Amino acid sequence: MMVSVETTGGLERRMKVQVPADRIENEVDTRLQSYGKTAKIKGFRPGKVPMKVIRQRYGGQIRQEVLGEVMQSSYFEAISQEKLRPAGGPRIEPDKVEQGQDLEYTAIFEVYPEFELKGHEGIEVDRPVAEIGDEDIEEMMSNLRRQRSEWLEIEGAAEPGHRVIVDFEGKLDGESFTGGSGQEVPIVLGEGGMLPDFEGGLTGMSANEEKDIKVSFPEEYGAEELAGKVADFHVKVTKVEERELPELDDEFCKAFGIQEGGVEKLRDEVADNMRREMEQTVRLKLKEQIMDGLLARNELDLPGVLVEDEIRGLRESAARRMGVDPSEASNLPPRDTVEEPARRRVKLGLLVAEIIRQSEIQLDQTRVRERIKELAAGYRNPDEVIKLYTGNRQLMDQLEMEIMEEQVVDWLIERAVIRENAMPFKELMNP
Amino acid sequence: MSQERLMTVLLGPHISEKGTLLAEKSNQIVFKVRRDANKAEIRKAVELMFDVKVEGVQVVNNRGKSKRFGRMTGTRASWKKAYVRLAEGQDIDFLGAE
Repeated sequence: MMVSVETTGGLERRMKVQVPADRIENEVDTRLQSYGKTAKIKGFRPGKVPMKVIRQRYGGQIRQEVLGEVMQSSYFEAISQEKLRPAGGPRIEPDKVEQGQDLEYTAIFEVYPEFELKGHEGIEVDRPVAEIGDEDIEEMMSNLRRQRSEWLEIEGAAEPGHRVIVDFEGKLDGESFTGGSGQEVPIVLGEGGMLPDFEGGLTGMSANEEKDIKVSFPEEYGAEELAGKVADFHVKVTKVEERELPELDDEFCKAFGIQEGGVEKLRDEVADNMRREMEQTVRLKLKEQIMDGLLARNELDLPGVLVEDEIRGLRESAARRMGVDPSEASNLPPRDTVEEPARRRVKLGLLVAEIIRQSEIQLDQTRVRERIKELAAGYRNPDEVIKLYTGNRQLMDQLEMEIMEEQVVDWLIERAVIRENAMPFKELMNP
Repeated sequence: MSQERLMTVLLGPHISEKGTLLAEKSNQIVFKVRRDANKAEIRKAVELMFDVKVEGVQVVNNRGKSKRFGRMTGTRASWKKAYVRLAEGQDIDFLGAE
């Protein structure tokens, strides 16, 4: 087998491969022979068909098959012989396929870029440091109370903070429009859930009152046909309700699954939760910065096929998220919007792979097991979840990849220059 | 023996184990032919259609099998087969032409 490689620019390679004729013809013969043992041709008993007839009848077809396979296997042989690392599949152009002659073809493909990992040490990152203060916990607690609040019907006019139940019908120039009407819609006043005009109109109304409200939509309103327009709403208030916060007592704690220990226990639990969330956020922020730093410090050629694949993947998953059929081309978001993220992801993937190779990071199996346990703990029957994970290769792969990535990030963080950056808890969680 | 008739004499090759065996051993080709064709016609027809030299022709009349479908009895059409021996060094390749 003769192989010659030619660089046509960038990462593209043209590989000419020549396979000796014997290799093909021998293969064709053995196949024909084995096929002849079972072939059924009219006028012959099975297995008694002369070779000549078999060859005449099936020769071409089998030759095609063999050619395809030989091309494939010799392609891989050639790749390993030349020590190339192709990115994506090759485009194969047969040059010579005549019988009795050496097979020649050209495979065109892109290779992974060879690059020197740069600047993976001493990436500067800010580690946000925050304290969870008592007031933060208090706020969380009152949030919990608000979530559990009950609404009591009251007499009299609605004020901000009250909840009104309304039926409404909106008309734009005398025409109804989609989303313009509703029945029994609960609206909490003063939370900005509805347009200010609408809420303003409702304030001061009491139960069983009807009213017409003019609502002007803002210029940058989501629905284009409404933006900047003024619509007339006819509203009818069926109920006005007042919020009643539940008492902070053992009963309240039980609703959150705290059977014993009462309010103190709940507070601890909440604080714990907040701490965990904070840790996660900090990790995420560190990771972002590390990855950004890595990207900024390395410049490399990206194989076009990989980028294309990534673009396709991103567009399809975006379409799936919007709940439309991704196989329909018109449903996909425009290409330009995903091209940059796709390039970023491909580049990052290459860099991370290179780090794994260079640093010889091994997958930490105990970490994998711990992660599964952690995941499972959140479910009602953890054992089954663990079984589900360990039994499913795909899920495991996904998990292992995640952990590998974390290990890479850890590795980078070890080598990074970390600046501590104190900030209040709230700012960290809701920037 | 118009050329027009000669064109209709040969109905098709008869492909069988015996046929291929004879083709290799004694350079004979087997045809299915019209029932009313005679040896002379067959010789001419083969020479015309395949542009070869024919050395001899043997013919066989095959009686159609009688077949039954429930209570109905019927007969398949009888047919004639011709073994045509070609002059040495000559060959007809049916399969390759497909």
